[in-house]
Amino acid sequence: MQSFGSGRRGTRGLVVLAAAAIVVLTLAACGGSSSGSGTNGTTSSAPAQQGGTAYLAEGTQAAPNYIFPFTPLQYFSTTNFQQFMNLMYRPLYWFGQGATPNLNPSLSLASTPQYTNGGKTATLTMKPYKWSNGETVTAQDVIFWMNMLKVEKLNWAGYAAGTIPDDLADVTASGNKLTFHLNTSANSNWYTYNELSQITPMPMAWDVTKAGQKPQLCGTASFSEVTVSSKTTSKGTTVTPVSAAAKSCAAVYKFLASEANKLSSYDSNPLWQVVDGPFKLTHFDTTGNVTMVPNKTYSGPVKPKLAKFVELPFTADSAEFNALAAGKVDVGTLPASDITANATTTGTCGLKPGANNPRLSANYNVYAGSTWQINYFPFNVNSTGNGGNSGKLLKQLYFRQAFQTLVDQPTLIQKVFKGYGVGTYGPVPVCPTNNFAAQELKLGNPYAYNPSKAKSILTAHGWSVKPGGTSVCSDANKCGVPAGTKLNFALQYVGGSPTEDQLMQAQKSSWAQAGIHVNLTTGTFDTVLSAAVPCSGGSSCQWEYENWGGGWIFAPDYYPSGEDLFQTGASSNSGSYSDPTMDRLIKGTTVGNSDLGAYSVYGAKQLPVVWQPIQIGATEINKKLQGVLPLNALTNINPENWYFTK
Amino acid sequence: MTGYLIRRVLQSIVVVFGVVLLTFLLSHLYTKDAAARACLGPKANAQQIQQFNHQYHYDKPIVEQFWIYTKGILHGNLGNSCKLHQSVSSLIRSKLPKTLVLVGISTIFALLVAIPLGILQVVRRNTATDYFLTGASFVGYAMPAFLLGELLILWFALDLGWFPFEAPQAATVWGILADPRALVLPVISLAVLTIAGFSRYMRSSMMEALTEDYIRTARAKGASPKRVLYRHALRNALIPIITLLGLTLPAIVGGAIITETVFNYPGMGLLTTNAATQNDVPLLVGTTFVAAIATVLGNLIADVLYVIADPRVRYS
Repeated sequence: MQSFGSGRRGTRGLVVLAAAAIVVLTLAACGGSSSGSGTNGTTSSAPAQQGGTAYLAEGTQAAPNYIFPFTPLQYFSTTNFQQFMNLMYRPLYWFGQGATPNLNPSLSLASTPQYTNGGKTATLTMKPYKWSNGETVTAQDVIFWMNMLKVEKLNWAGYAAGTIPDDLADVTASGNKLTFHLNTSANSNWYTYNELSQITPMPMAWDVTKAGQKPQLCGTASFSEVTVSSKTTSKGTTVTPVSAAAKSCAAVYKFLASEANKLSSYDSNPLWQVVDGPFKLTHFDTTGNVTMVPNKTYSGPVKPKLAKFVELPFTADSAEFNALAAGKVDVGTLPASDITANATTTGTCGLKPGANNPRLSANYNVYAGSTWQINYFPFNVNSTGNGGNSGKLLKQLYFRQAFQTLVDQPTLIQKVFKGYGVGTYGPVPVCPTNNFAAQELKLGNPYAYNPSKAKSILTAHGWSVKPGGTSVCSDANKCGVPAGTKLNFALQYVGGSPTEDQLMQAQKSSWAQAGIHVNLTTGTFDTVLSAAVPCSGGSSCQWEYENWGGGWIFAPDYYPSGEDLFQTGASSNSGSYSDPTMDRLIKGTTVGNSDLGAYSVYGAKQLPVVWQPIQIGATEINKKLQGVLPLNALTNINPENWYFTK
Repeated sequence: MTGYLIRRVLQSIVVVFGVVLLTFLLSHLYTKDAAARACLGPKANAQQIQQFNHQYHYDKPIVEQFWIYTKGILHGNLGNSCKLHQSVSSLIRSKLPKTLVLVGISTIFALLVAIPLGILQVVRRNTATDYFLTGASFVGYAMPAFLLGELLILWFALDLGWFPFEAPQAATVWGILADPRALVLPVISLAVLTIAGFSRYMRSSMMEALTEDYIRTARAKGASPKRVLYRHALRNALIPIITLLGLTLPAIVGGAIITETVFNYPGMGLLTTNAATQNDVPLLVGTTFVAAIATVLGNLIADVLYVIADPRVRYS
């Protein structure tokens, strides 16, 4: 057969053809436009510059997707609230003062509420803020929100039966003074931080059921004029508007919610252009690109210096890191996998970041700040696992103490989180530094890592401890479970995260030191959440430990009083934990006059859940951008404070 | 032929329906309230979960749920993504063109490179050139997409600054095409794997064509090597490539999750993957529906092109 090796002239064409394709792409590359710069500033030693565009990296695959502050739970997120809506529509009260979670009076729209009448009356005075359409932010704008809450509470993210507005007899306005008349006494801190915190005044321009209308009844009626009928059946609760004002609220909500469903119109819809915050929206797309410019009529204490504030979406941590490395963003998160030097801890909350990633160190400084949260995973005190003994065992404080004493939070933080983390010691965060947690807890973990102590506890309670194996109960009277019961448990956690895998595997090894054998399995986020529900026995109540990896973030319930988590029958009391003393202490923090000290200590020592370390993000800030610090513990951002330096 | 096409279209409808039904059923084989939990998060109370289930019909029997969904499809309504707060159809409308642009360009580029490479390998078979290109194909085939993408970004974007570090960020097709520099690296990243595979197919297909009797006849009649190669062998060798192209259509529509993630280019791949991992049932079923249509369409197009390419083939 004739070989084609002699057809060299023919092959030349092939090479040219293949190369041509490559050349086409190269030519296309040369002819394209260059990307814009992500920073705009000069050396940092010169005074502040007016203007410039600051770029913020949004959380990975967490682009804002809701603009109406009266938000259903599925859209209640940091991305939507703290990084989007709050820049345009100021909540009545702003939380996060410096790095603390405290109420920030200077950024609030009203004076700090005064409680009288034994805690049954809260009075506040509106400050002279303006909407961008020239109208004043009035007490009636707050009542507008309250009226809508009365009718549409089931569509509000923060609603829980018995809480605002259910706990109100009336809300009245007199000039710029508002008075909340409660049905029963409430703890002033709890009511301010957990109930009034949920309010965002709404402009009368939103009191419409179609574009261009004059204000309807919902925004102008008094709170008492809005009457509804609530009915609770096995199928759930329904709220039916009764009065004309209530029906108006239902219609207005329906209209505003439908407008909020039109994401592509966020930047053009006149409704959303009426703002009282420091910024207003000029560009929004469904991918997550957001551009805001200063609201020239903003009445707050600090007027924006930037010309533009832009939020950029990212598909993955690596994509965001590339943007940082290219200098495209000014404020972003350093992905955990790109942390090249461990952070160090000083004291309980002091966190000093390590040296920055070499690719970023020329242009960025790295910072770390605690967020207002606790991390834990629940156990099921009614579990019928392990032959019906798991629940009985998990009810025993001594066992919970031994289990917790084997969780080495400092080492986990250093080895798994590369130092970027703080411990959780109890139901009230000790970090960031705050006045809520008891001083006793700020001094250290009451259940610091101590394998010898854990083994002693078990031995003292009748267990034959087998390190590396499975401990067995040898004295039923001391164990609290039948003799021969083994310390064998199932723990399901959310898979897909190497960090979480390391965390759980390390703890499994720790627990094994005292012969506590934990079988780890993984599931999706919703699988784990669906499993971690209260149950009362039977074959469907076998779950023992479930870990969704996130614990609890205190927002908008900024006051960590525990009524949602650890009170008997609480909505998020997954493991059915029940303790009369805990209930009494929690009640004292919600309706009584107690602070959180006693509750925080009791909760820390009683171990209603397994406390876990909290991973803290490392924030990269452009060296030429000032005003970003301190990082807000509640993840609020205040770009009105940001400015570039030369 | 017309009858054949009609029968194939009807079969395709049944296949698509079956795929949608299966996906719907499988996505509902999870624990109770899972969709609500996935959407509402850990703070959802029983009341909110109940309300969610009622709003999205999860409290109805599965058969009734599927009937509601099917009625929706027939009216062009694929449901809403709870997580993304957009209708499934608008999400697909926004992501699909972006995916078609990126994956389509990379496929065309890959073909333009792979076909000549395959031919070159046949012409220079068992020489150093052939061995080199074979080795390169294997490396390209084995290279993980995320590694290649990150290396390209590191070298050509961050270190040399020749290209942007991410794919075009415009929301429209024209906006994407107006930024060709930003397409270079993601296209190369995607194309390498396709080039590797297609060039191997082309090589073996050409070698097989060159052993046919008609090639010997052509040579015997005095045809030049070039004419034999391009006029006779190539056309026949391209037939399996046509079939492959048809089968590639679902992949084109389905997107490239790794490339999209690395180059910050949210397309159909990322959309589908997130829908599955986040239990966003309407979105998952919707993207599967689109993929199923693309699959049957791709097969149909391949069959039609096959008839055009090879006159001997007739469908009765």
